Formats: sequence, structure tokens, C-alpha cells
Amino acid sequence: MAGLELRGIRKDYGSTAVLKGIDLSIADGEFVVFVGPSGCGKSTLLRVIAGLETVTAGDIRIDGAEVTQTAASDRGLAMVFQSYALYPHMTVHQNMSFALENMGIAKAEISSRVERAARMLRLTDYLQRRPAALSGGQRQRVAIGRAIVRDPKIFLFDEPLSNLDAELRVATRKELAALHAEIGGTMIYVTHDQVEAMTLADRIVVLNGGRIEQIGSPLELYNRPANLFVAGFIGSPRMNLLPTELVREETAGPAATLGIRPEHVEPCAEVDADLTVRVDLVEQLGGETFLYTSADTGGPNGLPLTIRCDGQSRLTRGDLLPVRLRRDHLHRFDATGLACRPDPILARSPS
Amino acid sequence: MTDTMRSHGEPARGPSAAAAAVTTGGANALMRLTDPPMRAVQRLIGAARMPYVFLLPNLVFFGLFVFLPIGINIVFSVTGGTALFPAERPYVGAEHYARLLDCGSYLEAASCREDLFWRGVGNTLTFTVFQMVAMVLFSLITALVLNRPIRGRGFFRAVYFFPVLLSPVVVALIWKWILQRDGLLNAVLTTAGGEKILFFVDPGWAMFWSVFVSVWAHMGFYTLILLAGLQAIPRDVYEAAEMDGTRPWRVFHRITLPLLWPNLLVVLVLVLIRSVQVFDEVFVLTGGGPGTATMMVVQYIYTTAFANQVQNFGLAGAASVLLGVVLFVLTLIQLFLTRRRAS
Repeated sequence: MAGLELRGIRKDYGSTAVLKGIDLSIADGEFVVFVGPSGCGKSTLLRVIAGLETVTAGDIRIDGAEVTQTAASDRGLAMVFQSYALYPHMTVHQNMSFALENMGIAKAEISSRVERAARMLRLTDYLQRRPAALSGGQRQRVAIGRAIVRDPKIFLFDEPLSNLDAELRVATRKELAALHAEIGGTMIYVTHDQVEAMTLADRIVVLNGGRIEQIGSPLELYNRPANLFVAGFIGSPRMNLLPTELVREETAGPAATLGIRPEHVEPCAEVDADLTVRVDLVEQLGGETFLYTSADTGGPNGLPLTIRCDGQSRLTRGDLLPVRLRRDHLHRFDATGLACRPDPILARSPS
Repeated sequence: MTDTMRSHGEPARGPSAAAAAVTTGGANALMRLTDPPMRAVQRLIGAARMPYVFLLPNLVFFGLFVFLPIGINIVFSVTGGTALFPAERPYVGAEHYARLLDCGSYLEAASCREDLFWRGVGNTLTFTVFQMVAMVLFSLITALVLNRPIRGRGFFRAVYFFPVLLSPVVVALIWKWILQRDGLLNAVLTTAGGEKILFFVDPGWAMFWSVFVSVWAHMGFYTLILLAGLQAIPRDVYEAAEMDGTRPWRVFHRITLPLLWPNLLVVLVLVLIRSVQVFDEVFVLTGGGPGTATMMVVQYIYTTAFANQVQNFGLAGAASVLLGVVLFVLTLIQLFLTRRRAS
């Protein structure tokens, strides 16, 4: 296993800059997730690390060794593709042993490694099947097995769960977390699904428009977003962003925008309320309820405000609801969109 | 249409709307014209039999120009004489077939009673083997090159396909002009200080150029089939192979070739069928010569039936039937392979 260092990585396609200077260090054994909206450059960055794309500028180092110009096959990395990219004409065993044959490893050693990986991934009964005879989840496990047998320096995952149904995605996510705990390899994982990012990552790298917006642990990003983009991107439903005028002056401070997560907006007595909102939509999930509301700002459209309540709610569309914003969970952002520090979360945060 | 427009309160405007109105109006008029007789036919035979009414025109066409000639050909093959009308031809049974198949050794045309037929078979076999190898090899290489991101790829794809659009006779005449004694190629050779080569006098050269011209003319079609197959191989499979550290030759051998195999099989069988049928290009190019060095089976049939002083329709018919059986078997193989590929 190995660490990775990226310095000033740029990638241009003609006049379009896809990566605009990426600096990142990933420690040995770390599970890092690249997350961001479509077109933010996360897959391109992964492919650059893999060696499937060349860089326009910058350095890539694996375990301190410069590999920027090294071919993908010589970097010692393994990649799990979104589409699995299994060899359709080969059996599961052949798929998993193909790379080892390329390396010239002895047959006995190949069989031993393949069988070990197959046991780990519960694929032993399917070794003689072809990919077409496997389910989506099994194919994904074969793709992971193909990576494991190579004992690579770094595992690269390009949205590996996006082709699976919701139930299988949750199950495979757990398996991936268990796998990382078991083999302890350095893993870089690309996804646009923030639940995957939050549950799998040691650290999350939030990308936007070819730049890194913030790097941190999942809870750091959730509790202390560095800017409005991260605040809006991490968390579902997304953080409420409010103009400071809506809140009593003593809480707003010097900020231009206030942010508050849906779970930190509380229904309260009218006398304690910061705002009174009108309920537009009620989403009952059983264990929790999301209220999509709007606050009257005097304009043609109300200001949207999402509220998360524990349990179930009897509110219906059109109801008026006085709410209070929890002061200790307010996030403040200046006029440029950057977080104002220190803020209450910063003061409270154990990290 | 007018009613619809009125109901929406928005009349159609502009030339495209006017053209659409004219087209729709024409279609409506045609429907009004054909509707009553169609309804009458349907009342007469029932809705379940209507598909056969629509199939009838093509069925008549095929019956007249394909099935009937096949039937007549079979009748000719078992009758003798020089008369054209089957009723005037005496029945001879399998005599023509026996004559065609009467050989001391099938490997030696001279030992056969109908030695020209077997020369044609031998030449066709030689042509088929060389053409298949050359066609598949060059089509594959061209497809592999055209599948890469080379400069001017679209132009080259068109260039390789253009000869397919030409008539075989035109192709043969162009190459005859290049290859004849005082043709372009010999002009180039003599200008470069070499000597003229009599391509159509030497049997080896004549067969070589027959194969070459045929490959040149049809390669574009097979290249297209293989290119489609190559483009159907997912890019990420190659990327996975790259990540797996696979060397280029092994990528071709272990990834490309197996995944392209269904397309290659179709190409192989199609080339085989067309090679067995070859006539026009080679006939115009070499006339079957020198001597009978490039005379193919189909040319034998043509000559026997139409070009000889004594027109032996019966013998030609029998040879046609034998060739037809071979082609039928090859077509069955092709259908089997295509269906297996589709499934």
C-alpha cells in the first residue's frame, strides 16, 4: 500500500480547463472520497491518478516516486470501473487472474490469490461463470476481486455502486467498508452520492468546477463547511441559506448569509420565533418528517426553508408554523461565500 | 388537419407548414382512394388474411424472377437437347449430373469427363482461399487502423468504402486499363527502368490480380462490418486491460479478437459465399485466361449455356444446381452464425 501526492494538477481539453490546479496528499491506508456535482472533474482526477489520462501540468507521486509520465500499467494501481469493465468472454476466474498472468506470476500462486479473493467476496461458487450469468452485485464483486488479487498500491473506485439498485447499493457499501477494514489499503473513491461519501470516507474531497472546495473528515465537512458551496452540497436535505435580515440582529453578526441545517430549525411558540413559515410540502418518512416551507419575505416568492422533525407530523400544506433557528448551529458566510470564523460550531467542535 | 388547426385556434404558418399540409393532404387523398377497395377485400377474405394481400406483390415478384427460374433451371438440368422451351426438351434424368461428376480423380481436372467444370472448381477454390485470407486480413487491419484516433479518419473511412459503390464491371475495366500490356502500371515500371510485365499472360499474375482487384473492390464493406464490431467493444474494457498491465499484442489476442469473433465469422462466411459466386469482375478483367487459368465455375456455367457454339443448357443447369446446393449450405451456415450471434 502507498500514499499519494498530487501537486498543481491541471488538465485541459483544448481550451476547456477541467482540473484547475489540484494539490492533495493522501496517506497510506486512507479511504478518500472525491465528491462533487456532475462535471466537477472528480472522475477526470481519478483517471489522471490511474494514468488513463495525461496531465497538462503538475506532478503525481506514489510513495514519493514521480509517476506523472508513467504508463497506467506500470503505476501498480487497480481500478474498479462504474460499468465493471469485466472481460465478457472470460470466466470469473479468468477475469481475476488475467492481470496476474500479465505479470508472469506462477499458476499456483495465481490460483491461490484468486481463490482467497473469491472466498473474501463470496464468489467461490461463481468462478467458472461468465459475467453475463451474474447479477449486478456479483459483477461488481468480481470487479473488486480483480483489483484485490493484484495487491495494488492504491485502489481506485469510479462510482462503483451507481449501477446497482438501492438495496444492493447499501449492502455493497457495507461490504466495501468491511473490505477496507480488512485489507487496509489506500482507497480513492469517486461518487456523486454524498451518503456513500459520508459513510465510507476517512476524508472527503469536495470538488467543484475543477477545484477543491474543501478537504476534511465527513463530520468536519458537515459541521464546518468552508464555504457556501460545501454547505449546500454536503447534507441532505441541503443546508438552508438565509439572508441575515431575516434573523434578529444580535445573531447575524458581520455575515452576509446565514446557514442552518434542517434539523436545527425547531418549531416553537410564537413568542420565541425567529420566523413564521408556511408549510408547502410534508414528506413523512416514518421515523422523521421533512417540512418544505417558505418564509414570507415580502417578495413574490417566499424564502424556502426545510425543516427536519423527529417522528411524524400532523402538519399539512398551508399551515403556518413559528420556528426558531438554533443559535449554536448557525453558520455564517461572508459576502464572498466563505465561512466566517470562528463560529459557534468551531467553538464547540471536538476537532 | 384544417379541423385540428382550427380547434387549436392557431393556423399553421411558413413554408414547412405549407409543405406538411400538402403532404398530409396527398396522403389523405390516397387513403380516401384506396380505402373502399381495401375494405371490400377485407370483407371478402377476413382481417386475418389481410397480411397476405400486402405480401402478394413481393411474392409475385420473387416467384417470377427467383423461384420460377430456379424451377426452370432444375427442369433444364434433367432434360437434354438445345430447345429453349422445357416442353420441347427430352427428359434425360441425372445424365448431366453424372457427366459433371464423372472423374478419374477429383484432384485432377484432366481426368474428368467435364474437365472445364473441374478446372473452374479448382480455380474457384484457389480464388476463394486466397481471397478469404487476403480479404479478412486487410479488412481487419484497415478496421483496426480506422478505429484508432488518427488524423483524417472520416476521410479514410470514406476512401476505403468508395470502391464498394462502383459496379464490378467498372472496377474490372479500371484495373484492366491499369494492368494491360500498355497500361498505367507497365508505364510506371518502364519509366522506373524496369521491364513490362504481361500480367494477363502469366497464369500466376492473372490469378493474383483477380484476387487483388476483388479484395480492393469489396474490402470497404467488410471493413465496415469489422469497424462496427470494434466500436461495439466497450472502451472501459480496454482501459481495464491497460490497468491490468496488458501488452498491446496480448490486448489484441486476448481481448479484441475474441470480442470481434462474431463479426469475423460473419465476414468469413459472407466472403466465402461471394467468392464462390465470383464472375463479373474476373471475367471482365481476364476473360478467364490465360487459357482457363482464371476461369471460375460461374464462367463455366455462362460459357456452357450461352457462349459456346452449341448451347448446352442442360449441362449448365446441372452445374448451376450443384453450385446452388453449395451456396445454400453456406447460407445456412451464415444464418446459423448470425442468429447465434444475435442471441
